Amino acid sequence: MWAYEKKLEYPVKIKNPSAAMAKVIISQLGGPDGELGAALRYLSQRYAMPTDKAKGLLTDIGTEELAHMEIISAILYQLTRNLSIDEIKKSGFDTYFVDHTTGIYPQAASGMPFSAATLQSTGDPITDLSENLAAEQKARTTYDNILRLADDPDVRDPIRFLREREVVHFQRFGEALRDVTDRLDCKNYYAFNPSFDRK
Amino acid sequence: MNEQQKLLQRIRALNFAVIDAGLYLDTHPDCRQALAYFRKHQAALKAAKAEYTQKFGPLTLTGQTGDERWDWIDGPWPWEGKV
Repeated sequence: MWAYEKKLEYPVKIKNPSAAMAKVIISQLGGPDGELGAALRYLSQRYAMPTDKAKGLLTDIGTEELAHMEIISAILYQLTRNLSIDEIKKSGFDTYFVDHTTGIYPQAASGMPFSAATLQSTGDPITDLSENLAAEQKARTTYDNILRLADDPDVRDPIRFLREREVVHFQRFGEALRDVTDRLDCKNYYAFNPSFDRK
Repeated sequence: MNEQQKLLQRIRALNFAVIDAGLYLDTHPDCRQALAYFRKHQAALKAAKAEYTQKFGPLTLTGQTGDERWDWIDGPWPWEGKV
């Protein structure tokens, strides 16, 4: 089970609203490489993991991704507080506003609603852990692009924290993948799926 | 920063040390040095959370202690940017 702690993993205190920034940062909530997809990916994949290290790691990183989803949501909430209709029209946020007002809805910056079609859970630990390495890099790239677009230090600060976590998670997934492959036939890792085929 | 903000920031910092060391320990469960680092921050985190709960209310539903009312619901909530 999970228990909620009434605090953010990293603080978010944004003084100036910006609909234009919210419009792009929302991709890290419900976009193809966003935090919701990350949490769902790892928390779904963990059941097929063959080692206790990998089961623990996917549980803990999946849990941290839920906290990151909350940080992104807090950024969006604070960026869209006290917006005027003029700002909403000028920034192009009107296309979101018409359906959601300033409520938090998981979608990509393009407007595409969140979809589990952006993630996999194959039941093969080598495949899943390799996907996770790519997923962490894709999220890191998205954060790099957000940092290219964001000037406000109140926004950049928590985004930099989240970016850094992608790098750490990548490192840990690499260690978990190495540990899984170390237990397989070193002449052919792909001879069988350790979570399905019984040898 | 007021006292509540300062204490919560200390909790966040200690909690981060515990989370990050925890991920490292997931893939290095026999590392005594990392385990000692984890233990040290875990103890400080426990003490800071107890102090916070006593002064400013519960951080978790199960940590609710108020006898007069259900103060778990009392704001500010984390996303509001006040603490």
